[in-house]
Amino acid sequence: MIAASIYPFFAWCERTWVCKEITLHESLFPALETIHLFGLVLLLGTVLILSLRLLGLLMPHQPVPELARALGRYTALGLGIMLPSGVLMFVATAVRCYGNTSFWVKMCFLAAALVFHFTYFRKALCSENSQNARLAACGALFLWFGVGAAGRSIGFLG
Amino acid sequence: MTSVLELCKLLDRSAIGTDIRESLLFPFIEGAHVLALSLSIGLVVITDLRLMGIVMRNRPASEIWSQFFPWMMSGFAVMFLTGALLFWSHALSAYHSTAFRVKLLLLILSGLNAAIYHVTIYRKLEQWDASPTPPLQARLAGWTSLILWAGVITMGRIMAYTF
Repeated sequence: MIAASIYPFFAWCERTWVCKEITLHESLFPALETIHLFGLVLLLGTVLILSLRLLGLLMPHQPVPELARALGRYTALGLGIMLPSGVLMFVATAVRCYGNTSFWVKMCFLAAALVFHFTYFRKALCSENSQNARLAACGALFLWFGVGAAGRSIGFLG
Repeated sequence: MTSVLELCKLLDRSAIGTDIRESLLFPFIEGAHVLALSLSIGLVVITDLRLMGIVMRNRPASEIWSQFFPWMMSGFAVMFLTGALLFWSHALSAYHSTAFRVKLLLLILSGLNAAIYHVTIYRKLEQWDASPTPPLQARLAGWTSLILWAGVITMGRIMAYTF
């Protein structure tokens, strides 16, 4: 199995000083989780607004490309907050993540969401009245909220 | 305060409270509470940024407000409903949690900030609606809201650790 061959990487993560620091200072992990949530508000919030616009349910008089330009940097900022804070939380708990089904589900959703976002979704945002607007909106919502739901279940369901 | 404590005990020990706490209902309700952040605070942040004169400066503030309002309110409806159920299942821990008390205080301050905005500078909306940079008082209301909601999220995250 591919996952088994990369297990040494997970074990190595927990031997790094980053992991030791986060484990040593009790308040660092909750702080990272909070920062991760700030990123979630920006990322999911703007994806939601843009998807509702593509579905014609929000700001119908505002051209799609214009709204996408205005909000795109906040999506990027959200992602720019979520990825580093997520990586740090992963490094601190890598071995636990390895054995956690929800973690792998989240990573699959994340990979799919990123690819979909920067190809299909972005293309739909570039044109007014894109024929694929509805599919782009539903796809982005399903994939990004899937990342969030799987992420939440890492701590609960294992 | 004794009666509040009694009420929290009652909720905590009730059948519904126990059922939520001890079943998979809890993670599902909590997951919904977290994901609905996007619809509630996500839309609030963009509205705040418009008030601060940072985003969508070429659109009237009233347009963004009227378009976002119904979605934002449905987001907050989900937040308060799921939040109430989460509280029900951990009423006693919440009662003793400082973070929860601070969270409630910040929610009240946030409501107060919105109320003050609505009875003051919002009354003169037609004078600045289309202006890219709203007047100082409106910008301050935006900043205050942003900071208070960040505090609400922080306290919400911290209180879960005390359960």
